[in-house]
Amino acid sequence: MKVVVCTKQTPSTTADLTVDDAGNVSWEDPGGKPNVVNPWDEYGIEEGILLKENHGATDVIAMTMGDEGSQEALKTALAMGCTEAVLLSDAAFAGADTLGTAKVLAAAINHAGDVDVAIFGKSAIDGDTGQTAVQTARKLGWTPLTFVSAINEIGDGAITVERLLDDGKETVTASLPVVISVVKEINDPRYPSFMGIRKASRATIPAWSAADIGVDGIGSKVDWSHIYAMPPREGSVEIMDGDSIKDKAAQLADKLFEEKVI
Amino acid sequence: MSGVFVFIENADGQIPAIAKEMMTAGRIIADGLSEDLIGLVFGTDVDGVVDTAFDLGADEVLAADDDSLSPFRVEAVGPLVVSLAQEKEPNVILAGASPRGRDLAAWVAADLDTGLVADGTAIEVDGETVKVTRPVYAGKLLSTVFVTEGTQVITLRGRSFPQAESTGGSGSAEMVDTVVAEDDITSKVVGFAAKEGGVSLTDASIIVSGGRGVGGPEGFEPVQNLANVLGAAMGASRAAVDAGWIPYEHQVGQTGKTVSPDLYIAAGISGAIQHQAGMRTSKIIVAVNKDPEAPIFKLAQYGIVGDLFEVLPALSEEFSKRLS
Repeated sequence: MKVVVCTKQTPSTTADLTVDDAGNVSWEDPGGKPNVVNPWDEYGIEEGILLKENHGATDVIAMTMGDEGSQEALKTALAMGCTEAVLLSDAAFAGADTLGTAKVLAAAINHAGDVDVAIFGKSAIDGDTGQTAVQTARKLGWTPLTFVSAINEIGDGAITVERLLDDGKETVTASLPVVISVVKEINDPRYPSFMGIRKASRATIPAWSAADIGVDGIGSKVDWSHIYAMPPREGSVEIMDGDSIKDKAAQLADKLFEEKVI
Repeated sequence: MSGVFVFIENADGQIPAIAKEMMTAGRIIADGLSEDLIGLVFGTDVDGVVDTAFDLGADEVLAADDDSLSPFRVEAVGPLVVSLAQEKEPNVILAGASPRGRDLAAWVAADLDTGLVADGTAIEVDGETVKVTRPVYAGKLLSTVFVTEGTQVITLRGRSFPQAESTGGSGSAEMVDTVVAEDDITSKVVGFAAKEGGVSLTDASIIVSGGRGVGGPEGFEPVQNLANVLGAAMGASRAAVDAGWIPYEHQVGQTGKTVSPDLYIAAGISGAIQHQAGMRTSKIIVAVNKDPEAPIFKLAQYGIVGDLFEVLPALSEEFSKRLS
């Protein structure tokens, strides 16, 4: 069994973001690690490694579309235990929307050959669309299974998963190959081992270009050039100043009934 | 191209709140474009849902009634919407940003080779274009996004719009056939466990959340009690979830759920930026915290500085008195 884990490099969750008038976003991190593997993708990487450890997957290939700097995310994936990593990098990929990204990932998965399962995190914390997994599945012609919270069984050309929906948990079976997107409930991602980090730091990560994987016409049918800071919430806080807790509770109740939110 | 398709999600004849909210958003878009609002209803025994669709303001309804369409599977519904879009050439296809709506929108946009704007929170019709406001970078920044050519596929977040109200409208649906045979669908739903009790976080109009300040699993008792009195859902910060005090499904924030209730009461939550990302669009925010310097007070409209183990029971008592 061959597994591909699609990952993305994103700003860290603690990064301070700034945006200029032209909509260019930049960030720095107080902890000194401004770029990380998209936090949701750690669950995808872990699940890929678990398929190797528990279900006999032979290859777990991490793939990231991005510039040279995105190698860092791939090194984390290698350090955790992925068997290979590939950077998908080409000037032609810049500015791709989710569908453009899906076309690139699908072509790369086909190029890797004989893949049974492609795993995504539920969304990326920067663009946050959560649509790339399904669109990649469409470009591959594979079944998409999203919001997966457990893989119950996999083997003999089939997979059974649990999906976490708003109204409950759905159990679904499907024929392989599939594209799955995973949610946080599925596992606890491991920390890279010391040996893993050492090995990953020495690894040479191959880069595949548009020509290598045979895609063209990547672009965007979505304009998202207008990015701006969240307007601050208006007004300041009104602290309840009654003499006792009971008075303060009564004061707050008055306010909330006035606001008609209760 | 003309017309606004709205996917009316339904399960066993029930229409979730988000589908009724999409009828409101769909009406705004349809009126802005001077085009028809066309409801899409798929499932089994759909007559009741079709009637509701007209009552909630649909000008037309396209419906399909087939066992393969219930429960919802994107492999069955996706190709049907693609085929209807190719035939009717709508200007806009709108769905709620629920798991089912997201799957459908992604599938349809991929097959139509058109642009997709996901998870919007506000809309504005500008000429023929629907401009969508959406949070990015985990709610730290906003963006205005639109599809530049072709059918505009859009999903909007729950509770961003009020539910559509009854218009008294009625009509009969144009019934359409499925386009994929059951044998050609590889996925089968073999089980479903409905969520047990309680109000769902994403649907809740009131949320009471606890954080590190609750101190342990038993500390969620006063949080739950106040939630019960208010008919609210119970939320939690990442710190409380990571400590194992409460299951992940309650987590609000960057790596949990994004919520937008009318009232959000944060108890013992300092208000880290990651938590704010998940709740800052709440209409009214109330902070209860021992530390008057906690960042949550900068976000809140109302605050009580004090021990949540005294404040929450006092609030429960006060509200149960007034609401009885």
